[in-house]
Amino acid sequence: MGLIENIKSFSIIENLSAEKNGLFQSFLANGFPTIKQEDWKYTSLKKIVANDFSVEGNGVTVSEEDIKKYSLGLQHKIVFCGGNLISKPSIDGVSISAFSEFESQNKDAISVLNSSLAKKGFTIKIAKNTVVENPIEILFFTSTKQDNFVQYRNNIDVGENSQIKFVERIQNLSDSKCFVNHFTQINIRKNAKVEYNKIQDNNENAILIDNMNLYQQQDSSVIVNTLIFGGAFTRNNLNFEQNGSNCDSNMNGISILDNNQFADNHTFMDHKQPHCRSNEMYKGIYLGDSKGVFNGKIMVRPDAQKIDAFQSNNNLLLSENATIDSKPQLEIYADDVKCSHGCTIGQLDDDALFYMRSRGIREKEAKAVLTYAFASEAVNNFTIAEVKKLAQKRIAEKLHVDLDFNL
Amino acid sequence: MSAKQKQTEEELLNEVTSSEYKYGFTTDIESDTIPKGLSEEVVRIISAKKNEPEWMLDYRLKAYKAWLEMEEPEWANIKYTKPNYQEIIYYSAPKQKPVLDSLDDLDPEMKKMFDKLGISIDEQNKLANVAVDIVMDSVSVATSFKETLAEKGIIFCPISDAIQEHPELVKKYLGTVVPARDNFFSALNSAVFSDGSFCYIPKGVKCPMELSTYFRINEAGTGQFERTLLIADEGSQVSYLEGCTAPMRDENQLHAAVVELIAMDDADIKYSTVQNWYPGNAEGVGGVFNFVTKRGICYKNAKISWTQVETGSAITWKYPSCILKGDNSIGEFFSVAVTNNFQQADTGTKMIHLGKNTKSTIIAKGISAGNSNGNYRGLVRITKGATNSRNFSQCDSLLMGDKCGSHTFPYIEVKNNSSKVEHEATTSKIGEDQIFYCNQRGIGTEEAIALIVNGYCKDVLSQLPMEFAVEAKKLLEISLEGSVG
Repeated sequence: MGLIENIKSFSIIENLSAEKNGLFQSFLANGFPTIKQEDWKYTSLKKIVANDFSVEGNGVTVSEEDIKKYSLGLQHKIVFCGGNLISKPSIDGVSISAFSEFESQNKDAISVLNSSLAKKGFTIKIAKNTVVENPIEILFFTSTKQDNFVQYRNNIDVGENSQIKFVERIQNLSDSKCFVNHFTQINIRKNAKVEYNKIQDNNENAILIDNMNLYQQQDSSVIVNTLIFGGAFTRNNLNFEQNGSNCDSNMNGISILDNNQFADNHTFMDHKQPHCRSNEMYKGIYLGDSKGVFNGKIMVRPDAQKIDAFQSNNNLLLSENATIDSKPQLEIYADDVKCSHGCTIGQLDDDALFYMRSRGIREKEAKAVLTYAFASEAVNNFTIAEVKKLAQKRIAEKLHVDLDFNL
Repeated sequence: MSAKQKQTEEELLNEVTSSEYKYGFTTDIESDTIPKGLSEEVVRIISAKKNEPEWMLDYRLKAYKAWLEMEEPEWANIKYTKPNYQEIIYYSAPKQKPVLDSLDDLDPEMKKMFDKLGISIDEQNKLANVAVDIVMDSVSVATSFKETLAEKGIIFCPISDAIQEHPELVKKYLGTVVPARDNFFSALNSAVFSDGSFCYIPKGVKCPMELSTYFRINEAGTGQFERTLLIADEGSQVSYLEGCTAPMRDENQLHAAVVELIAMDDADIKYSTVQNWYPGNAEGVGGVFNFVTKRGICYKNAKISWTQVETGSAITWKYPSCILKGDNSIGEFFSVAVTNNFQQADTGTKMIHLGKNTKSTIIAKGISAGNSNGNYRGLVRITKGATNSRNFSQCDSLLMGDKCGSHTFPYIEVKNNSSKVEHEATTSKIGEDQIFYCNQRGIGTEEAIALIVNGYCKDVLSQLPMEFAVEAKKLLEISLEGSVG
């Protein structure tokens, strides 16, 4: 049986409310998106959803070693096991609890499915004027014998003038396939500062669709860093909405893929108010038979004047069978703006390689150094030292070199 | 910004939006039209009127059947009321068809029209050294210099004549680059096209003059469906120009053309268009729907270069493309698209890299003013076998006024790791500091804008042949004289 049938039988057991059932029916009407839809043109779910996933399987335990292995060792940790909150830190001004209902505006099939059926995840509220110095690590562990489909639904509310940083990781501990439909909504109030790091370094049986909505109020500033190293299939939908003036939105992405990995970054930057800025930088490195997709859209609404928006997507194709499809878009309805995007696809510079080799550096190392240099523009934007270190370590591992890039 | 400056800006803006379309006259020429509507019968009538051979009728009927099953595309970022295809007259021809050898016999009304358009089919052409084929409504009415060209073995004639005189060439190449089933509008065109230009440059011949087609919609309620087929045989070279105008009418007229270019090994084709169809009035009423399919195929070492200056049409839906099939072939696309008032343009290009060492360059400049919307939509596809291929794309947009929009939708697909692709796009308005710099040096705001816009479009305008560059510059000035800074 395919995933959709399994979800249907799951929904019957769940006894949905009329409202939720309405949402669910609207999902069923069209099912999972297909490549005929513009937003999924290069990303096919067909093979994935044909799998016989069980829905919301549970009953896993996670050992201290596992937590240690996959954590960055930060002071504050929120740990989920099979979608259940098993440990959380206590921080002044920050309330952390398990899933609670909230509405979202997303109309796409995947988000609708999430809002109709998801019942796991976290709710975090940060009170006004709270500055949390140490980043909070959020770990989701899944481990089931059967192939499993799970949905998490998270909500963060950051109060006025507050500052906070998160590092998130979803980890599959078993050898069976795990398909996670992850949805996170963050409200950022006036003059708040938020940084969110997504470490997507799951095992080769992991499938992830990650939807994140960020709603920014006046004077707020947000950074979202997306690091894709692992997972078989990753799709990120990152949607920024600026609802006040003088907002800053920053996105940094780095993907380094090999074997048959697939990663798709969809970003949508919606400038609704004047005097805002956005800066987006995605770097992709493709090895083996990997495939990358980038779709970045910058929208400037009428009257959102004095916008300064920049987007860049640079890709390195380092193997014969790697491919990339990129679609940077600008949609501008205001005239007094400065918007630009740049996209490059290419290889390492032969001259630079020759220079290094003529000085006795072996080819593999020379290539690794150049590749790291390519990625470093994004890596250097990571403010949390542990995240930066992890990126450096994983890049070296993926390129099969034993180098410490931390110069 | 001072109040005074603001006032002048507003005045200037008004001036831009009120610039008149100067080709909006109609000409009273008796014409031979068939009843409106489209059916198999109509396709047969058109074919019969042209006295076409059986294979041509079959081709049309096949296309018509394909069209019936197709749906009008909706993916473009444009909004319009779909034309009622049963309300359009699919064939209209001026009754008097002049014979080329005796231009003096030409209908004086028609002659007057040509003078108004600024095209003279006789003396001036000899000076300008341009051979012109004029297509009015659906029929080619005059072709000049046919004999001079024939000496070199070049065939330049209306496509309906070519079907009669050179059926082997037409049969071999028609529909090979743009198949009838390619899209909704190409299928429609394949079914009902009534005329257009045909050009064949034999092996190793360098065409001694610019070839040119001038399109004119005259009759009310008609659609124009012309077909251009240009074949440059091995090692030949040709530069081709295309211009178009239409009368001012309150209704929307449909123009669905197909252009096919074939550049054999080592051939070089340069195709330039100055598109100035009636854009509708300042309220957005009327204007031409320009739904055009243009595509060229390059064999080994061949080169196709598209240059377009788009100032007209209520709606433009047009993507001149290059299929770089042969190794070392080159595709180029240079475009300036100006939209004003309520015009909408969704235009760009496709570069399909199939051969090794293929190169493509895309320079697209968009200028949007008034309530208009301009879109760049382009595709660069590097296939697995296109080793060492190279693409550079640059799309810039300039916005004038706060009600217009400008959008960029590039698609980049790379399946080969030895290829390099670069794409960049910017959107901005003319900087206040740039205007200030000019003002300071005694250049009025209006001249300063002309200067900046001209500089902005220079990369593209410099690609146009002389005769066209002048016309294009003038057009830009009319479309944009005086705009906000």
